[in-house]
Amino acid sequence: MSQSTNPTSQFQTDANRVTADVDRRSFLRSSLRGYQTTRNATQDRFLNYESARIAAGDAKWEAIENLDVYLAQFADKLEARGATVHWCSDSEEAREAILDIIKQHDAKSVIKSKCMTTEEIHLNDLLEKEGFEVVESDLGEFIVQLRDEAPYHFVFPAMHLKKEEINTLFQEKLKSINTDDPEELTMVAREVLRQKYLSADIGISGANFGVAETGMISITENEGNARLTTSLPKVHIALMGIEKIIPRLEDLALMLPMLATAGTGQHLTCYNSQLGGPRQDDEIDGPVEMHVVLLDNHRTRLLADPEQRDALRCIRCGACLNVCPIFKNVGGHTYGTTYQGPIGSVITPHLRGLKDWKHLSHSSSLCGACSETCPVKIDLHHHLLRNRRDAAGKGQGGLAEKTLMLGFTIVMRRPWLYRLTGRLGKLGHVLTKPIHGTRIDPFYAWKKTRDLDDPAKQSFKQYWKSRK
Amino acid sequence: MSRDAILGRVREALSVKTDAHVREVAKKSSHSLPVLANGPDGRTQAVKEFLPFVGESLEDHIAAFKVLSDKLQTEFIVVPTIDSARQTLDELRQKHQWERVGIHDHELVQSCVDQLPVEFLNTSSNYDAHALEKCDVGISGCDALIAQTASALVTNHSAGGRALSVLPPHHVVVADASQMVTTMADGFAIIREKHHEKWPSFISFITGPSRTADIERVLVLGAHGPKKLTIIMISE
Repeated sequence: MSQSTNPTSQFQTDANRVTADVDRRSFLRSSLRGYQTTRNATQDRFLNYESARIAAGDAKWEAIENLDVYLAQFADKLEARGATVHWCSDSEEAREAILDIIKQHDAKSVIKSKCMTTEEIHLNDLLEKEGFEVVESDLGEFIVQLRDEAPYHFVFPAMHLKKEEINTLFQEKLKSINTDDPEELTMVAREVLRQKYLSADIGISGANFGVAETGMISITENEGNARLTTSLPKVHIALMGIEKIIPRLEDLALMLPMLATAGTGQHLTCYNSQLGGPRQDDEIDGPVEMHVVLLDNHRTRLLADPEQRDALRCIRCGACLNVCPIFKNVGGHTYGTTYQGPIGSVITPHLRGLKDWKHLSHSSSLCGACSETCPVKIDLHHHLLRNRRDAAGKGQGGLAEKTLMLGFTIVMRRPWLYRLTGRLGKLGHVLTKPIHGTRIDPFYAWKKTRDLDDPAKQSFKQYWKSRK
Repeated sequence: MSRDAILGRVREALSVKTDAHVREVAKKSSHSLPVLANGPDGRTQAVKEFLPFVGESLEDHIAAFKVLSDKLQTEFIVVPTIDSARQTLDELRQKHQWERVGIHDHELVQSCVDQLPVEFLNTSSNYDAHALEKCDVGISGCDALIAQTASALVTNHSAGGRALSVLPPHHVVVADASQMVTTMADGFAIIREKHHEKWPSFISFITGPSRTADIERVLVLGAHGPKKLTIIMISE
């Protein structure tokens, strides 16, 4: 999780630790099995789910391939209705824009509803450093915030925790009663947060979609925390990546059920709200100011890639994490990224640099489960391959890989050398038998998680010859 | 300015066309599937043709709404007349011991609550959020009921602002059978028809009482919003 160490070695260390924790892994798996069952049932109610995927994917293609037009339209419409739009090129600009708004209002406390983009720009760290009280209101986010942890999964932030652990946490941090009943624990959080909504000066939310045609953001949630966050405080700030655009209001009628089905297995989440501007002159409540902070933060770099701009169509449902065999084994924190799982592995090298994050392209079995489950048909596993190709093309393979590949080329181009290597390999295998499985075996690291069988008595070439 | 800088970068990035193969993959499937025309009309049609089917008649829609409501733990009550709606509300008042009730200036709501022996808070003029939080229930109207999703579609005009339908622990929607439509797209069309000259700043599809499953995937109702949702539909 820590950013100070090299991301590659952090991934390896954490992956080793988490995969050894069999108890936690089976806990994770059983919860993801529950998701799969619900989702299958919901998907089965569709008249034609596959065609719906293509149509939903099409809506996002139209938005992404005309992003300049739709983004400008979105901002113009919002401004015409009295909202302020802030255009931010990177994390720092976005943090500053938000901090400025908060300071202008002389605010003390900030309530937040779930927004992964604020994790991306590390907003909480800054606000707390500046002395503001920042409260996450989504239950899962509230729990991981109390634990001073990053979200484990960008849709289910606290899915790795057991109720007993949450009980201990609440007793310690909230002086709550001793209970491990999920309902009672939820009510503890409800009571604590109720008062925060009423007293907070600023509400910060994310946005699942930005409707270009009407200039509205759309927020999807189950708990009602986003509705309270955007109803009660005087100022509403919404932070949104520029890729969240969709062309028309009616597109939501397709996108919202797709997001719910893929995200949680519900046919629709509890509240799907569209917010366009602050309180209007014929309205009685709602914030008096609305700020929409649009964030680039290298999304345009991904957009410039004619193959992988595909990944900007992502609607952050989290389905690719839920089906990923790597995620199931290494868990969410191991990735060390804001967006975990296959989609995170595809986009993080673009957003944060291929050099430090190329190892994520290898955190895949290339089974394709992610591409198959994606509700907008992003070709995820092929993008992982493309990232591998790009890393190799830029000579970022590392010395060991380069040497290995050079040796491979030399051998493969010379049939006599190939035959010789084969024989030597066989001989080597037999001669080193006594040290197999011990630390002095030169292939110890490789064999630790793999079995190497004895080579066949007859090579394929010999077999082929004998048949003629 | 940043706006020009970002839009400039977007334009520059888009000057290279999307790789044809990648674009094709998003359309292809191993099955031969009906694919609708690109563009907004195709997508609106997709909602009707690909998403769950809920029948054509009002009876079908009511039945579908009921099935999903049961699953969502929404209390969906169909009554014949305004009089019986009044009676239902009075029964709910007794059952849940309502003392303070949040309402707003809405014809149907007003005519259903006029005889309730409770203290009212009306959110159609300046109101105190703390007082609304103390209400036992918020009673509002809506713009449409969506059969495909069992949702009540509201705006700040039809639901007495943003908070009345989310702050009290119980939300009651009163609706008329003529408000039942098939899909969310039909719902948006109603809002568009009513408000296209001046959109409301708040639109929401309310689908069941507030819920969470953030602790061990166990479903808990009333995470932050209402623990109970009652939809009363007057059928005559």
